[in-house]
Amino acid sequence: MVPLHFSHLQSLLLFALIISLAFGTLGRRKPIERVKYAAWSFVMFVLVGIALGWLMYPFSR
Amino acid sequence: MFEEKPANPAAGETQEEPLAAQSAAEPVTTEEESSRPPSEPAPSVNDREEAAPSAARAVAVALAGWLLPGLGHALLKMWGRALAIFLIVGFLVYLGAGMRGNVFVPGGEDAFARLGYVADAGAGSFYFAARALEVSGSDVSHADGDYGTRFLATAGVLNLLAALHAYEAARGRKA
Repeated sequence: MVPLHFSHLQSLLLFALIISLAFGTLGRRKPIERVKYAAWSFVMFVLVGIALGWLMYPFSR
Repeated sequence: MFEEKPANPAAGETQEEPLAAQSAAEPVTTEEESSRPPSEPAPSVNDREEAAPSAARAVAVALAGWLLPGLGHALLKMWGRALAIFLIVGFLVYLGAGMRGNVFVPGGEDAFARLGYVADAGAGSFYFAARALEVSGSDVSHADGDYGTRFLATAGVLNLLAALHAYEAARGRKA
């Protein structure tokens, strides 16, 4: 298997996208509600992830 | 994704209590009788027993969903969700193994390894796929491997969540 390499941000975006799709699929029934919920989850994942990254930044060095 | 119908037609979204909780010998409520047209026959006791979700069937659906991601929902004819779960869990396992994440084995030395195994094993048969895909072993000395470990664990936990969702849908609690 070819090894996969991603940056931190790429991994974050990939993770957020996949999990948001899963949440949207499982959490809602109507297609439009699924899209809205998945989009909301994705934005929250990314924003909270970046915010936590900045919060931890002062302790990283 | 397309809209799906609930697995149990008798179980609407607003239904809180499973039908199994209702006694079959209980007479039909007067409200139902009053709202039913005179031409429509009243449901028999046998009809209501068939519609009642079975706990054993729900457990079987959940187990199937755990063993093969998406199978639980497929058994309930929720095709969109079945396909989505299969692809999402499979993709997460592929990414995790490709990033050389740690696939935990049973009998770990510490609590983290044991918990990691529980999370990984949640992917059911895909756990073995991850082990087969990762021929060169894990490498958590780089960020990729560390992220891969999380991807694999997430695949397992997500599949457990999907299996629980299938169980609840089979019981008629939600769809």
